[in-house]
Amino acid sequence: MKNTKRRFVPGGLHLGREIIRLLLKDIRVELREPNTLLIVASFALSTTIATAIASGGVQIGNFERSLIYWLTTFFSAMMSMSHSFTREEERGTAFFLHLIASSYAVFLSKLIFNTIFFIIIQGIITAAFLFFIEGLVASWKYFLLIAFSGGIALATSSTILSAIAAKSSTRNALFPVIALPILLPILIAAIHATAESFENYKMLFPREIIFFLAFSLALFSISILIFPYIWNSE
Amino acid sequence: MKHAARLVHFAMPIAIIMAFCYAPTPDLHGETGRLLFFHVPLAWTSTFAFAVAGCCAIAFIFRKRLQLEAIARFSVEIGLLFTILATASGAIWSKLSWGSFWNWDPRQTSIIMLMLIYLASISLNASLKDHPSRATIVSAYLIIAFVTLPFWIIVFPKIFGSLHPQSGSLVADFPTKISLVCSVVAFTLLYLTFITIKLRLFLLYNDEAHIQ
Repeated sequence: MKNTKRRFVPGGLHLGREIIRLLLKDIRVELREPNTLLIVASFALSTTIATAIASGGVQIGNFERSLIYWLTTFFSAMMSMSHSFTREEERGTAFFLHLIASSYAVFLSKLIFNTIFFIIIQGIITAAFLFFIEGLVASWKYFLLIAFSGGIALATSSTILSAIAAKSSTRNALFPVIALPILLPILIAAIHATAESFENYKMLFPREIIFFLAFSLALFSISILIFPYIWNSE
Repeated sequence: MKHAARLVHFAMPIAIIMAFCYAPTPDLHGETGRLLFFHVPLAWTSTFAFAVAGCCAIAFIFRKRLQLEAIARFSVEIGLLFTILATASGAIWSKLSWGSFWNWDPRQTSIIMLMLIYLASISLNASLKDHPSRATIVSAYLIIAFVTLPFWIIVFPKIFGSLHPQSGSLVADFPTKISLVCSVVAFTLLYLTFITIKLRLFLLYNDEAHIQ
């Protein structure tokens, strides 16, 4: 076993600087080769357009619309969330990250990067969905709040799972297998809450948002604790 | 644990006899209600096995003893077996009570999701077969699965509202209560027996020095 205590509790200011440095590095790499962003955006667009064409202009029910929206979001997450850790392992840069940064900084920078990346993806999905799939949104405020909080919950919860999957040689196939059942509570809650926001003008604050918050916090807390052991494993 | 596991040879026949001969026929479900004495203990034991897997995974991460990881892995396998049996017995009961084997009740969804989560841990274990840190990575996944366990078992059925009877609603009289407790104890001992056998096999195939 490697020494996991060497950089276990870094100082706050130092940690902050490390996170920003790694985050900027990830953003720079992503902007240099925006392949994943383009692939996921294409997937989201083609899925939404294919659904709109298949429905043939017929108005789809609120629950079905919510289902289409979240399934597109969910599978876009499955395609994109693992790539930041996978890239480090495939290019052999994970070793250098071990040398220059603490495991906390690596995890938090990847988490922030994944969240920003997923917010962009979800913005594209939401725009395409509202443009191509015809239908009413009764409560705009809650629709956007559910979409935003659900997306953040998916990004937060899947970061640790992508770190686990990246350790395997079959990482691309493995990630959806291990992530899908863990993330399904978010998906199911989001589908129900979004369907209500489509049809209910007098919608009350959805308790699903509290569920997203609790679920993400629980997974985030445990991720922070166990990530050093995953990251420092051989 | 070895001696406790031996008690299953007495506890299981007693539990079966009590379920069929001592407990009265339930008013609401008739003779089919006796499924209670098998379905509830199976569901309880599967949850217990998954909780043990989570606790052993946490202990392994800190203490790095392969025996703990082995117990976690065996608990997942046995827990899955109990989950499949609980799902099957639940489906039969659902057909008799609600008219269909499967109707996506939140409790049914929860158990099928738990099955998927722990099947994924077996897939992860298989994909990391020759990886030097296989045990650590699988344990990390089992800890994450352990954190989601209360969400599936408690939170999810509460948010979406379940037709599934809540604990205590079916058990009214003393003979039924005591028969159910006996059955739960017998199935827990059965789980301990399976773990003991698997652990003995594991110790036989792996030399002591390597395990320590």
